[in-house]
Amino acid sequence: MNTISNDGFSRRTFLRVAGGALGGAWLTLDLAKVAQAAHHAHEARETAGAPDTSFLSKAELADVDAIAAQIIPTDDTPGAREAGVALFIDRALATFFGRMAPDFRSQLAAFRLRCQAQHPDVGSFAALSNEQQIEFLKQVDRTPFFERVRLLTLVGMFAMPKYGGNRDGIGWNLMGFQDQHIFTPPFGYYDRDYPGFKIEVVSKS
Amino acid sequence: MTKTYRLSETVDFAIVGSGAAGGVIARELAQAGFAVVVFEQGPRHTLADFQHDELKNWFSSGLINDVVKNPQTFRDDHSKRGERNLVRPNLYYARTVGGSSTHYTANYWRLHECDFDECSRLGPIAGTGFTDWPINYAELEPYYTKVEWEVGVSGLAGASPFDPPRSKPYPMPPLPPKSSGVLLERGARKLGLHPFPAPLAINSQPYRGRPACIHCGFCHGHGCEVGAKASTLTTMIPEAEATGRCEVRSESYVVQVATDKNGRATGVRYFDGEQRERFQKARAVVVSANGAETPRLLLMSANSLFPQGLANSSGLVGKYLMWNFTTRTHATFEHELNEFKSVQCSRIVHDFYDSDPKRGFYGGGGIDSRIGPQPIIWADRIADDEHLWGSAYKQRLAEFPRSMQAAGHGTSLPLETNSVELDPELKDAWGMPAMRVTYKDHPDDLALMRFMQARCAEIMDAAGAIKVSNSPIKPQTGSVHMLGTCRMGNDPAKSVVDRYHRSHDIPNLFVCDGSSMVTSGRGQPTLTIQALAFRAAEHIANFARRNEI
Repeated sequence: MNTISNDGFSRRTFLRVAGGALGGAWLTLDLAKVAQAAHHAHEARETAGAPDTSFLSKAELADVDAIAAQIIPTDDTPGAREAGVALFIDRALATFFGRMAPDFRSQLAAFRLRCQAQHPDVGSFAALSNEQQIEFLKQVDRTPFFERVRLLTLVGMFAMPKYGGNRDGIGWNLMGFQDQHIFTPPFGYYDRDYPGFKIEVVSKS
Repeated sequence: MTKTYRLSETVDFAIVGSGAAGGVIARELAQAGFAVVVFEQGPRHTLADFQHDELKNWFSSGLINDVVKNPQTFRDDHSKRGERNLVRPNLYYARTVGGSSTHYTANYWRLHECDFDECSRLGPIAGTGFTDWPINYAELEPYYTKVEWEVGVSGLAGASPFDPPRSKPYPMPPLPPKSSGVLLERGARKLGLHPFPAPLAINSQPYRGRPACIHCGFCHGHGCEVGAKASTLTTMIPEAEATGRCEVRSESYVVQVATDKNGRATGVRYFDGEQRERFQKARAVVVSANGAETPRLLLMSANSLFPQGLANSSGLVGKYLMWNFTTRTHATFEHELNEFKSVQCSRIVHDFYDSDPKRGFYGGGGIDSRIGPQPIIWADRIADDEHLWGSAYKQRLAEFPRSMQAAGHGTSLPLETNSVELDPELKDAWGMPAMRVTYKDHPDDLALMRFMQARCAEIMDAAGAIKVSNSPIKPQTGSVHMLGTCRMGNDPAKSVVDRYHRSHDIPNLFVCDGSSMVTSGRGQPTLTIQALAFRAAEHIANFARRNEI
């Protein structure tokens, strides 16, 4: 295994090294030295504080959290709930995804009404049993509302943690994604022993 | 110090757009000694602004057009009302200095000879605007070579038996193969096909003052943080400014090309960063705003002399909108590929490039290997009927390191009904008419998509994939390749610009970008757009020197 691709390499260090990239130093940069320097650099994690604005009510938030937890469930590894997806969605709709908020609110209301109509004794999607939740979502998983929650769940699961989701890199860990700035070949198993490209001589018909 | 022009001055050229074409034309005209101002709607970024930020770059206006400020409507039929998409624009492009050359994947395919004269080879296709270009491959070849050497392209000349003739090899060797490229090559060779290293405008070694790729994996949709990927932001624009004759005015949104009573362009009206209306006088105007914004600007510039919009006596401004589709075949392998590392594509297949009447439909295409592209988008794209959510979907997500995509790309037939127009109701944040896009795939394009996807799946099977699945072929509703909307041609009744990109109607108005293309090619149009731009700039400079503008 090469050392560079396994060493953490923070953006701050990266920018320090890359600063003046076009000045020339970067052109002859020894990647091994960069990686070594980066190895000791502490990753300055960009974390979001508690959301100061919220869009959803407590009950709505609980339902969104329950839906997200069905989309990427918690089993032997963490899921959307642990990644903080519901709070991410709440914060996003209150701020940078405000353009989606009006539709989201009306669609969520329709979702909740439909759920309550089917389960008048329970009252909310979040309060249903796991099996009941799955059963209900199967009825609605082609609706624009579910499609929107699904997309927002993915954004909350896999976007940079600074936006409040993907807490502790839970999403990236699930996917086996490494957020780094420098990788060197071989990148995977199949390019490890690649013999080099051979030009085949073919006659053009 | 870069040059700054005053509004009271009359510059030689106002160039609208700083992207793939505008950047090239700016450099060429400034180096030829002309006074040039480049107008760019978006801001100017530095490399330090480019982060691995999918949310910002794919779902917000970090780089691309903003669905709130620059809204669009979309419909698939002229009888319908356009609908607004509030998640992402249907047609999207980087709205920043460097334009979409900032966030593109940097696949640099040349067109082949057939792309220029295919109508003559195959015959016309009823109900379409399928026709030959007014120029041929041989005429454009020197400019393809010029782009490859001036911009910097990595590749292996002679590696593809299907490549058209070239006068010079690539200036840099190909980038190292990725596992996806090795697997595509393995599968394709087993089937008797001829895979070859993907030509990319990404440095495989230091080139012209820019570093080699560090394989960070964030080309597609993002700006390159070290400048190894060739954006005009880091190539043409600084070289244009270094002449001392070119000013790049960012956050300057041109809303009208003005004309005088003689029907000549006099300059451009624009909003500056503070939404103040400004006017820059110019002896000639070059519009290189991309295949969507260019026709919109010409249509918005309508006046009493040109009530249909500028350069539009043919009525074809905005018509014949063409895209290049992408089909997606997902393959999972036994071992790790780690496709999140390095450039998108390292191997491609052009065996199906030519149209073959035996297939029963028009069209041809190319195949490449990729992941397509980073975590959020990938997670969305692999969701299918069997893995839409829940435990099965979660397991699928964990296959990311062992996954790749074989993507098919190909032709799009020019249809007069596919268009960019002004929306009759919706306005943008500046009070200007929003863009209305109408698009419906020709049945042959859909047949070709199915054909290309089937070939991709065969290659992945042959490569030893343990699981192969296809994203369903659906009618397209959006694209990043916006082509053909101001097509070039010899006949003023059937085209918008002539073979030199001069508009048929207004002698000092030139149009050069994806809108100039007469046919779509098979995907990856940027190299062709830049070759056209180098060629156009050479002719425009000659016209100007000879006082023929």
